[in-house]
Order: sequence, then structure tokens, then C-alpha cells
Amino acid sequence: MGLRTAETDGARSVLAALALLLGLQLLGTLLVDLTHLPVPGAVVGLVVLLGVGARFPRFARRAEPAGEPLLKHLQLLFVPPGVGALTQLSTLVQHAGPLALAVVGSFATGLVVAGLVLQRLLRRRGTA
Amino acid sequence: MNALVHAPGFGLFLTVGAYLGAGELHRRLGRPALLAPVLVAMVVVSVVLELLGISYAEYLSSVSVLTLLLGPATVALALPLLRSGRALLADRLAVLVTLVVTGVVSVGVTVAALVALGAPDELVLTTLPRSVTTPVALTVGEAIGANTTLAVVLTLVSGVLGATVGPWLLDRVRVTDARARGFALGVVSHGIGTSRALAESDVTGGWSSAAMVLNALAMTVALPVVARAFH
Repeated sequence: MGLRTAETDGARSVLAALALLLGLQLLGTLLVDLTHLPVPGAVVGLVVLLGVGARFPRFARRAEPAGEPLLKHLQLLFVPPGVGALTQLSTLVQHAGPLALAVVGSFATGLVVAGLVLQRLLRRRGTA
Repeated sequence: MNALVHAPGFGLFLTVGAYLGAGELHRRLGRPALLAPVLVAMVVVSVVLELLGISYAEYLSSVSVLTLLLGPATVALALPLLRSGRALLADRLAVLVTLVVTGVVSVGVTVAALVALGAPDELVLTTLPRSVTTPVALTVGEAIGANTTLAVVLTLVSGVLGATVGPWLLDRVRVTDARARGFALGVVSHGIGTSRALAESDVTGGWSSAAMVLNALAMTVALPVVARAFH
């Protein structure tokens, strides 16, 4: 009996968390519609959760029962667009040279610049 | 057989099954970055769809629940950021400067390389959301008129590069600080890089997911402005 209650409550908190995340996304969509910001509604929802959650940690914790499993298995959600992407392989091959240079080049410079700049800045702050 | 293959749940079953199987394979082989579960699952699903003669449109309608979950998953990205909030806030200036410098450099290199090689404008637009985490890349890509499916491939490529050669490259340029390593991986290779960063340490992973989210926010604001030059 006790186990059953706990299980029901677990499922309930997952559903409540999912509803909260969806609600924030919809709120974001509404705000985007009202302000004509060139930003996806879900990203505005992220910022709202960040702002409210920084002040009220308990509010953010309510999103965790659905948020954590979603983030842990985020990659599952990329499988369908990825499958669609495989249908675009011909475009990819057609522009393979420029794409490889742009992607690998900006990957490598971005990684090195970010690592070196942040390390330098953190060190300076540490010694100051 | 036909009834089974074209049942509404088949695509979803196939996707979840392939993802779980690929994850298990990945663990058993010692987590090689090239066999990232998302890549293996993509290939397996594509091959099965091809073999059974299921169109991409039919497949998409079967997995619409996964597409729908991208929104709440994006909102949930606030959670890791809230967790590492105190450490980030203490070093906010360093973080902000790094974010801006890296953003300018990597967008600059992308645009310069493609323009120099005479690539069409649409291709430039498609390459822009590359370093951003996929749910955000999809929505931003749509907003700026990118070829979103191709943008997803490039996003995956950046993620896999980050997980495979990222730590090696950071070693070469002597970036030893766990926070700087994590941040660099997250900023250029989002979720896939972050999962690799988590394997190094909790600090590296935390800074990596923070970098992923901050970069997504920065790029959401910056890319539409950059994209205007290519319309």
C-alpha cells in the first residue's frame, strides 16, 4: 500500500514537472508573440526558469523530475532529425570541401580560443 | 507484416529500441566517441526505414512525441545552469569575455571560410547554428532560413569532433584547468561534448553544460543579426 502511494506520487511529480516545463515553453511562445523577439519560445522559457529558479530554488526543483531524465536522454530526441539529415547527404557531399573547412576550422579555433582565454582569465583572477 | 510495419507506434518503437541498443553497445565497447549512440541509432533507423520502404514523412508522424519533447527539454537546460550558478557568477566577467571572444572567432572563421570558397548564401546560413545545442539549433535555424536537416548533421559533426579530438587538442595547447576545458568543450560541441566532459570530472562537466546553455542563449540573439547579411 505504502509502495503504491509512493509510486503514484512519483508519476504525479513527473507529470507535474512536464506540465511546468511545457507551461514555461508556452509562456515563452506567448512572450515572443507579444514582443516579436527573434528568439524561440522555448529559449525564453529557459530564461524565465533561470530567473525565477535563481530566486526560488524550490520552483526549479519542481521541474527536475521531468527535466533531469529529458536532459539525460536528450540525444534520443535528436535521432529523428538526424535520420532526416541522412536524406540530405547529397547536399553535404556536394559541398564537402567548404563545409569541412568551415566546420573543422571553426571547431578547432573556437575550442582553442575558449580554453586559452578562460584559463588565462581565471588564473589572473586567482593570483590577484 | 505490413500492418505491423505501418502501425502508428512502429517508428517510435524502432527509434527508442535503436537508441537503447546503441547505448548498450556503446557502454560495452568502452564508450568510443565515434560510436556515439545518437549516430548509431540514426544509421540503424535509416537503414530499417529504407529496407521496409517506410517514407520519412510516415516515420516523422510516428515519432512526433519526441519532436514535441524538444521544447520542454530546451527549457530544462536551465537546470544545470542553476546548479553551477554560484561558481559561474563568481567568475562572470571571465566567462562573459570568453563567450563573446569565442563566438566572434568561430562565427568569423565559419563565414570567412565559406565566403572565400564561394559557397552559396544558403549554405552559410545552414552552417551558422552548428555549435549550438540541437533543440536550439533547430529553432534558430528555422528562424534564419537555414536548411535545418543539414544544420542538424553539422551540429552532430561538431559534437562528435568535440568528444573525439577535443580533449586531445586541449592537451596540445596546454589547457589544464578543468573549468576552462569544460567550458571550451561545451561552447563548441554542446551536449555530445558535454557528455565527454562529464567523463573527465564533475567540474569539467558542469562548466561544459553551462557553456552549452550560455552559448545557445548568446547565439540565439546573435545569429539572426549575422544572418541578415546573407538574405
